[in-house]
Amino acid sequence: MDGAVGAVAAVAAPPSSEPPQPLPDLDTEGFWQATARGELALCRCHDCLLWVQPPLERCPSCAGPTSFQPVSGIGRVFSFIVVRHPAVSGFEHELPMVVAIVELEEQVGLRLTSRIVGPLEEVEIGSRVVAELVALPGGDFHAPVFRPT
Amino acid sequence: MARTGCAITGIGRTTFTRRSGRTTLAMAAEACRAAVADAGLTMPDVDGMIAFQAGDSVGPLSVSRAVGIPELAWNIDVLGGGNVVANIVATAGAAIDAGLCRAVLVYRSLNGRSGYRFGTSTSRQQVGGEMQFDAPHGYLVPPQWIAMWARRHQHEYGSTCDDLGQIAITQRTHATANEHAINRSPLSLDEYRAGRWINEPFRIYDCAYEIDGAVAILVVGPELAESCAVAPAWLIGSADSQSGDGWTQWDDPTSMYSRHAAPRLWNRTGLSAAEIDVACMYDCFTYTVMATIEDFGFCAKGGVGEYFSSGRATYGGDVVVNPHGGLLSEGYIHGLNHYFEAALQLQGRAGERQVPDARRALVTAGAGPYGGATVLSADRP
Repeated sequence: MDGAVGAVAAVAAPPSSEPPQPLPDLDTEGFWQATARGELALCRCHDCLLWVQPPLERCPSCAGPTSFQPVSGIGRVFSFIVVRHPAVSGFEHELPMVVAIVELEEQVGLRLTSRIVGPLEEVEIGSRVVAELVALPGGDFHAPVFRPT
Repeated sequence: MARTGCAITGIGRTTFTRRSGRTTLAMAAEACRAAVADAGLTMPDVDGMIAFQAGDSVGPLSVSRAVGIPELAWNIDVLGGGNVVANIVATAGAAIDAGLCRAVLVYRSLNGRSGYRFGTSTSRQQVGGEMQFDAPHGYLVPPQWIAMWARRHQHEYGSTCDDLGQIAITQRTHATANEHAINRSPLSLDEYRAGRWINEPFRIYDCAYEIDGAVAILVVGPELAESCAVAPAWLIGSADSQSGDGWTQWDDPTSMYSRHAAPRLWNRTGLSAAEIDVACMYDCFTYTVMATIEDFGFCAKGGVGEYFSSGRATYGGDVVVNPHGGLLSEGYIHGLNHYFEAALQLQGRAGERQVPDARRALVTAGAGPYGGATVLSADRP
């Protein structure tokens, strides 16, 4: 993968029509546990209160302990694409779809990349959006998507 | 690496096709043999190898055996994409400077179209690490990430899809004079606009042409360089910048790794964009050229469309950008074909597409937060 350090290609695996599933680890499982409860929570430092996404065991700034804390789910579209080519399996029947980088109101630069739901034409950079949680097909996970408000 | 006494001499490659029908080992061996023969050397002269791949190719030990090198004094197999190319070329030179070996084959071999394609993800069922947050939204491949960045540039600087199209058109015009290019049909702005959307704002013509093939370049020390059959393309400077901020958290997608690597490179070489004759700009996507051309100082932010449409990026202009057609038109050998082209131009062997009086070439490698660049010179430092 272009530029992604450590990317591993599955050369011989057969094509799939299921969407990809997250594979949580000890640092990230709190995020998925929260979405399963119906809550959007992100990693935050206890000591300096920095929000840390993607999550880490310790704060990258002060090395303080972290935990998952609820966020408002309100943010603004930082950038977006309209996905039209089915490059990733599992979304063939949902195209075109909008995927956006959303910057959350809690902290400058605190961003999630997610699908935008609702009318495509309402999305532009700067649009105010709010998170809702949806069940992912093909597994046991829930993920945040964002809807313009 | 500020500068080494090393140079690229021999260069080799296979034909570039949509379906090679060959193993990556067979193609790597062909390209490596061609590079060594081009230099007028023989396999016993080669004692080092470095390659990069993404689990889709073969490592130096297999290739050394295939070309009849009984053992290597130095080798590394790097896991990575186009972002590591400048670094591995520099590392080959540094290994020679350090006395670890004397001649290093650098190669990339892939069935990038008929085998594993970087632009698709049809088999990865469980995604860990940082990308686990993107996986549920199908946001897993480069033509999505870099289109996302391009949109932000359009928002901040008013750049347009037509501006991106000018890059694709100029490079395709260059490819018409390159028999090795996979796509040599001229491209008009109307055809560009009619191209199907991949991920808006990217159309098909904004994306590298994925192909099968291999490229090898031979890096040697100064004594050996002067005795080779072809003129040396001297490695006079290299700079890298790789950030862990990734595709979502990177603060300003209107610039790339090059905002750090470019000043580092110009400081090390004492050069500037104005002194470059040939620029082989890594072009996995048109927007990668746009952002890096700006970062390396060829033109002001937001001016790239006009820079290309007014002829400043082609023959008779300021600098010839991707005279071979680049990854967009020659094909996607992950950027190592840019080093092949830069050497060919500095050696004066580019035939119909030769850039007149080409003395210095910039080669960039990588996109987004990850990349590096090299300056090559026809003149010994």
